[in-house]
Amino acid sequence: MSAAELTKLSPAERHKLVSIPINGQGLKTLLDAGMVWLRTNQQNINSLNVFPVPDGDTGTNMVLTMQAAFDEVENSGVDNVGQLAHAIARGALMGARGNSGVILSQIWRGFARALDEEAFMDVKLLAKALHEAKETAYKGVVRPVEGTILTVITDISAQAEVSVQRTNSFTEVLADIVEAADASVQRTPDLLPILKQAGVVDSGGKGLFIIFEGMWRFINGEPLDKALTEVLPLSEMDLDDAMETVEPGQDYEVVIDFTPEPAFNLEGYYEELEKIGTSIQVGEGDGIYRMHIHVPLENRYLPIDHTMTQGTIQKILMENLVAQMNEKNNSKNPKIKLAPVQPGEIAVVAVSPSHGLTRIFASLGVAAIVQGGQTMNPSIKEILASFENLPTDKIIILPNNKNIIMAAKEAATMTVKKVAVIPTISIPQGLSALFRLIPDSDFDEIVSDMKDAIDEVETGEITTATRSVEIDGVQVEKGQVIALHNGKLVASTGSIEEACEALFVAADTSSYERITLFYGEDIKLPRVNQLADKIRSIYPDHEIEVHDGGQPHYQLIIAIE
Amino acid sequence: MVESENHHNELGSILIQKEAIASIARQSTLQSYGVVGLAPKNLLENIRQVLVKDAKYGVAVDYDHDGLIIDLYIVVEYGTRIKSITDSIVNSVKYNVEKTVGLPVRRINVHVRGLRISNMD
Repeated sequence: MSAAELTKLSPAERHKLVSIPINGQGLKTLLDAGMVWLRTNQQNINSLNVFPVPDGDTGTNMVLTMQAAFDEVENSGVDNVGQLAHAIARGALMGARGNSGVILSQIWRGFARALDEEAFMDVKLLAKALHEAKETAYKGVVRPVEGTILTVITDISAQAEVSVQRTNSFTEVLADIVEAADASVQRTPDLLPILKQAGVVDSGGKGLFIIFEGMWRFINGEPLDKALTEVLPLSEMDLDDAMETVEPGQDYEVVIDFTPEPAFNLEGYYEELEKIGTSIQVGEGDGIYRMHIHVPLENRYLPIDHTMTQGTIQKILMENLVAQMNEKNNSKNPKIKLAPVQPGEIAVVAVSPSHGLTRIFASLGVAAIVQGGQTMNPSIKEILASFENLPTDKIIILPNNKNIIMAAKEAATMTVKKVAVIPTISIPQGLSALFRLIPDSDFDEIVSDMKDAIDEVETGEITTATRSVEIDGVQVEKGQVIALHNGKLVASTGSIEEACEALFVAADTSSYERITLFYGEDIKLPRVNQLADKIRSIYPDHEIEVHDGGQPHYQLIIAIE
Repeated sequence: MVESENHHNELGSILIQKEAIASIARQSTLQSYGVVGLAPKNLLENIRQVLVKDAKYGVAVDYDHDGLIIDLYIVVEYGTRIKSITDSIVNSVKYNVEKTVGLPVRRINVHVRGLRISNMD
């Protein structure tokens, strides 16, 4: 499961998974949570390295080792906790990377050995397994160095043995373990002088703590995808999109480049920044740190003062976000607002190939959009993700392309929500169906209404042929303009006008009353207006509308109704 | 005995015995995770070890004009990933030797002579 999926489990589901005694699937979920949280903190752990060699990338090594362990059991349905632990240990052994990875694999190996073939694990067995994990970890080295991951597993195991004397609750024991591991990590510089010199804690020990903390956070419903303190590579700092979401108290953006002093403590630095502002990011590259923060007007100099106590400032950038936002709101590409959904109402998800069409769908009450179309079919996962978070369980999907209907139907089977897929094969059909939406009305009635609406519109599509071919009895030369009526090729001609005319004849346009043109990204508005005038002269009694669809490939998508 | 590496500075020469380098390498190897012991290089050393404590037991040091060549003969804990362990040994021995004696290490050969089985899983 991804971080998002893990976080989405309800408290009841979480507690069921790790209720005592824990079975194989519960252990697997815990492993998953530990791994996800470790991955989230990977860069942090990497940045703790003091030793130029041997372990230059502890965080990455531990993540790869955990990933290998998880891959081994990901698709396993084994309920027996012992068997599952043995599989985890095997995966960790095969995928062990770096020193810390090897030790981690030994920890899992000892853990698995203690569980043997037991079907379930209670807290007593957990303590025994952690003890065996520690023993096995120490067996792998003649001269153990303290102040490392070895010290941390020792302290974890000792705490577990104490905790199980007082409680039978796995959650409580885990909380104790996490606390002990944290204290143990903080103690590592006292045991290992090289850490103290560099002013850091041991990276492998920290990694082990993070794994247990991830399990604890998972049980307690804390998010796993955002590190508390985070150091990104400079190249990954994303300072652009910050502009989208300026909220009260975010008047100024301050970015500071600085070289930290030797005793620089990232967590302490972060804590102080959190008191000053929001949207905090810290990046690192070649010894230079970059700090990014949004602060209210009165705090605009505080990040500078604070950073000066932590190192030498190289460069400061300060921007007035309020002024920039005002400017941006006056520009012509305003952000699209999707329709809000109340619990119990019907929400419509539409697949849209372009910004322009998305805006049209949004204005008609769509609650979620999936990007996609002719040449970029969205995955089942993307469709699922679009509505999983909506606060209602009545969902209608408009695929708007015949290649996407299957994926939409597949997505519908993968959720507990009530989902109907209206088999719309074109944008006009999707819009026609959408017109029938009454969010607080009866679900089945609306679905049936929408299905009827599909047949009440004729779809025309005008595009340029990309190759020479003969389809539906029409000879097409590459580069010609072709017209499709309800997906069927009706003409291949030299101009858009001719293509439109052929389309209108095929669609029996005289028996309808309205023609709507959605023009694509490959055609200019004046040219479209010229076309619209021509159509008006042929069908003077019809209502003609022109909209900016911005779709790729198709110069025009035409709805005739 | 000519088994030493020469350095010069303006005040004179510094001679580092191979034994000295061997003990650093040995120390560093034994601290590496996964290594549970050193192994004799050959039968002769196996017999000698019974009689005298030898700094070079399980370690061979040689050099040419490009730098030191170190051979390590080790026993590894069963059930660990040997590739990761040996990679780690190479890194840490190279780092410690270069840092301590200031001579470049050109090559480190790790010979896994045996596995110690503490537990069969």
